Amino acid sequence: MPEPEQDPMPGLVAEATRGRPIDAGTIEMAAVETGPEVRRRTKKGLGFAAWLSIGWIALVVGLAILAPVLPLDDPKDSITEIARRGPLADAGSAPGHLLGGDFNGRDMLSRLIWGGRTTLTVATIAVIIGFVFGGLLGLLGGYFRGKVDVVVSLLLDVLLAIPAVILALALVTILRTQPGTKGGGLDPEVALILALGFVAIPVLGRITRASTLSWSEREFVLAARAQGAKHRRIIRREVLPNVLPAMMSIALLSIAVAIVAEGTLAILGASVETDTPTWGNMIAIGRINLQRAPHVVFEPALMIFFTVLALNMLGDVVRSKFDVREGGL
Amino acid sequence: MVNVSTSPSLRTKLVGAGLALLSATGLLVGIASSASAASAPKPGGSVVYGLEAETGGGWCPPTARLAISGIEVGAAIYDTLMVPNSKNEMVPYLAKSVTPNATFDSWKITLRDGIKFHDGTPLTADAVVQNFDAYRKSTLLGAALKNIATTTATGPLEVTVTTTTPWPQLPWYLYIDGRFLIEAPAQLSASDCSSKLIGTGPFKLESWTVNQSLVATKNPDYWQKDSKGTQLPYLDKITFKPIAEAAQRVNSLQGGAVDLMHTSDGQQIDALQQLKSTLNLTQQPNGRAEVRYYLMNAAKPPLDDLNARKAVAMAIDRDQINQLRNNGVHRVANGPFDTSVIGYLKNPGFPQHNVKAATKLASAYKAAHGGQFNVVLEHTNDPANVAEAELIKEQLGKAGIDATLKQDDQTAFVLAAVGGNFSILLWRQHPGDDPDAQYFWWNTGSILNFGKFNDPTMQGLIDQGRTESNAAKRKQIYEAVNRRFASQVYNVWAYYDQWTVAAKKNVVGVAGPPLPDGGGTPALLLYGRHPLLGISVNK
Amino acid sequence: MGTIARRLAQLVVVVILSTLFAFALLRLFPGDAADAVIPYGTAAQKAKFRAETGLDKPFFEQYATWLGNLVQGDLGKDYQSNTPVSDKVGAALPVSLQLMLYAQLIALVVAIPLGVFTAYRVGTKADRAVNTGAFALLALPSFVLALALAYWVGVKWKPDLPFLGQIPVTGYEPGWLEPVFGQSAGNIGKHFGTMLLPAISLAAGLIAVYMRLLRSDMIATLQENYITMARAKGLSDKRILWRHALRPSSLTLLTVAGLNFGTLIGGAVAVEVIFGIPGIGTLIYQAINARQIVELQSYIAIIAIGYVLINFSIDALYVVLDPRIRRARA
Repeated sequence: MPEPEQDPMPGLVAEATRGRPIDAGTIEMAAVETGPEVRRRTKKGLGFAAWLSIGWIALVVGLAILAPVLPLDDPKDSITEIARRGPLADAGSAPGHLLGGDFNGRDMLSRLIWGGRTTLTVATIAVIIGFVFGGLLGLLGGYFRGKVDVVVSLLLDVLLAIPAVILALALVTILRTQPGTKGGGLDPEVALILALGFVAIPVLGRITRASTLSWSEREFVLAARAQGAKHRRIIRREVLPNVLPAMMSIALLSIAVAIVAEGTLAILGASVETDTPTWGNMIAIGRINLQRAPHVVFEPALMIFFTVLALNMLGDVVRSKFDVREGGL
Repeated sequence: MVNVSTSPSLRTKLVGAGLALLSATGLLVGIASSASAASAPKPGGSVVYGLEAETGGGWCPPTARLAISGIEVGAAIYDTLMVPNSKNEMVPYLAKSVTPNATFDSWKITLRDGIKFHDGTPLTADAVVQNFDAYRKSTLLGAALKNIATTTATGPLEVTVTTTTPWPQLPWYLYIDGRFLIEAPAQLSASDCSSKLIGTGPFKLESWTVNQSLVATKNPDYWQKDSKGTQLPYLDKITFKPIAEAAQRVNSLQGGAVDLMHTSDGQQIDALQQLKSTLNLTQQPNGRAEVRYYLMNAAKPPLDDLNARKAVAMAIDRDQINQLRNNGVHRVANGPFDTSVIGYLKNPGFPQHNVKAATKLASAYKAAHGGQFNVVLEHTNDPANVAEAELIKEQLGKAGIDATLKQDDQTAFVLAAVGGNFSILLWRQHPGDDPDAQYFWWNTGSILNFGKFNDPTMQGLIDQGRTESNAAKRKQIYEAVNRRFASQVYNVWAYYDQWTVAAKKNVVGVAGPPLPDGGGTPALLLYGRHPLLGISVNK
Repeated sequence: MGTIARRLAQLVVVVILSTLFAFALLRLFPGDAADAVIPYGTAAQKAKFRAETGLDKPFFEQYATWLGNLVQGDLGKDYQSNTPVSDKVGAALPVSLQLMLYAQLIALVVAIPLGVFTAYRVGTKADRAVNTGAFALLALPSFVLALALAYWVGVKWKPDLPFLGQIPVTGYEPGWLEPVFGQSAGNIGKHFGTMLLPAISLAAGLIAVYMRLLRSDMIATLQENYITMARAKGLSDKRILWRHALRPSSLTLLTVAGLNFGTLIGGAVAVEVIFGIPGIGTLIYQAINARQIVELQSYIAIIAIGYVLINFSIDALYVVLDPRIRRARA
């Protein structure tokens, strides 16, 4: 059987990334993961930082889920008096609205919470899509190797050669609602989710593939094969249960990446319909007020920052707790 | 001899008087010198002009789609046959005279002698006729110039234009807000006509890198001199830079990256006014501003129904929009004409903001149409437009009208307008020219009548206004047009969109020098356009 | 050498397939060049335009023609302004290259010492502080940093520095690379002034990534036998760190820096738009907005080729530089 495609960076880099491939998609994820020396230290329980992160995520997710029932202002209702007023704004602060009003006078607090709802939904579903399709490809390539792997690897490489932002932007443009032209087109939110999901596929595919490759070489898998077990069974019972936990941390990190990607696309005008708030949207449109009402931009920016930070932290902690592969092997 | 030692108060007074005299003299000298300095701009220098957009489509008459940015570049490189002055009269510019016959259906255009295009070829009647032909071939401007029957060179410097109907306002169509640029035959016949700009204007094209900059250098043989006999233009070079976002343009001006910029964005104008002391602001006066309005598609449901249009108009709170979007800088409009345009009425009967009435009409519409009343608010992706559209959507929602937002780039936006594939467009037009200059926007069947309204009353009125030459009668006609728009609600008039040109403190002369042959002073920022030949940089 | 040839062949296949994919994808774009150039035209006029420009030919024929042109350096035309795309690329490419170069340089100059230092002093307070700082920096998107810098520098601080001049928040001044592409050079001081904020916005994230990866790598390296041996031999710490430990770890950095080329283009698009820098990112963004499909194909092709070439160079470099790999393959 021909050798599986070597990642072109054997040796130390592979060690540094614990066997995961370093490529354009995974560099940031690799950087998030802490090295062995720190893990040895935090073996007992979760640290303070980890609990803080869990708390933040719980808060944001909780608010997002509860948004419809919380006593918030309507995020789409303009109140002229608070327009462009808020902390740090030229026009002064807004009475009765702690976080101020945006450029159209809509309450920032409510928009941040509703925005979180949309942003998190988009990011999570996109990552799920990436996992399902990318994961499937990676599993097949990593397990079957040979010609299957050659095709899968080629496919993933081809998609990776086009920078994700540009690919996502092109996809959103194609998929979006185009009333008036012959093809219908999709709702902007759906288009965004599909586009982000699509660019997540090669990244998650490569990681799954690497993980599957290493797990498929284990003795118990070889043993199962020797016993004549069917491929499907082996994948389901031997490989998948071991690959999945390793993927949990990747899932968290990917959601963080997707949140940032939504922001980037929003600046380029490719996010959801503009009066539906998302953190990225709010930054993108609020930009014109940067000089006189910076809070419109910096409040959602801080939300993104803290949420991504918390997700990175959690992702790292999850990996160090559940990913047993490195433990002394 | 004055005994200065005895009385300090007297001595002080004398000294004080002496000083006062000295300073007064100094002041007078200063005023005199600065006055003379102001009246004698020094040639030389170069400026960078921050424009609203790039003119990707170029300047070839059959395909050009010039907006203010393209028109401003046109003002540098070309001349028009006539220009409007501050009294709103069309006066000859590149032409020496434009004379109609008694029935206004035959016009004699006499050109100035000795004018050359930038490539050295002379300005002749033949060249002008070629320009007419090219513009009439354009789908866009051709629609505007439809009323022209023939154009012939009846002399080396004389062109005769005949029209199918009496057309007293033809002079406005020799300008078309600065779009009727007289281009050299070498450009008109070139395969790269869109980018090979050759005109008679004060500046010559040096280079054009799309989306980056267009550089124009002084035309040393320009046909105008200033009142002191100094060759115009003063500047050696102008670099036009497209900077799409108004906030960024203001930033660039503050940071020194550009020397001049223009904008009609209310919030940015407010910001500029706060910086007044550090800049030279030239603002379009009230009276002839263009109008920001929401163009409704009267050919497609739901807005083919008059009550539906009324509901939309009454649901929209134009005061709130003006406050939130423009910081109150602009004025709310109730019709297509600004206060100095004939046909202006303070109260033409346009439906005012009334949520209750709007909701009632909307529910009635929904009851008759399966509970649906959906509109699409289409706009370009400028953040200011996006914010405005969001506000309108919210206001419509309060009356029970479901609005969706649709963001377009400039190309798709124009396509939607032309193709009639829209519901409501956020548009801006109708600068304060003579109302007949708006004819092709409202003419039934015109490609530019995007709302596609087919209104015999309106048609009759604008046809009358076109051929009528009596001023009092025309006033009545266009007031009737105004009232018709109010009662039929084809458009929701929002606010008058006035232009401001902001320049660094040492950049002067935006308004332009007096027009040749006693034509008066140029109209100030009509449609945002201003001449460039009078701009100079003080050291 | 067989490996290199094989790898090269593989990369060529990737380029062809990714450009084919882009070509196919862009076929699905709503609207086309005819609509963009003559939106007021009749259907007949548009059909004529498409026939003249070859836009009505079948898919593979168009692809083959385009590929053939590409190889000869003809990247097509912007139909609206009749400018050859290669001109636009020639104007934008040096801008983006300079921006990425500065971002990478700043990142490496800051990250390498930090990475070495923290690996050397692993576990100490300083290490933890720097590491945590880098971790936090990873969570900061480049567009957020860009806006923060734009606000702080443009609105609050408004500095006027020597040589760099006023730091503008928008706009670009040509630099030293433009003449290589046939453009005119600009005022170097002003050039750096316009590039300062964009480069920092992009560099911050890179600093965090490079520092952390280098640190991880070096910690592992420092545990290797030959390092212990060098220490036993009495070599100074400084010497060991910089001459013996850094070298293999620098390969990591090289790889990562090279692979970041693609991500940098993506991140640069938003930064370029925010700061008004006319680079390839802005070009692509405008082309997508204006539905200029022919242009887009060329831009994506250029990026894909560039990315693949860099990948290939890194692989080749690895084979040459890393003695372990050479030994393993022997």
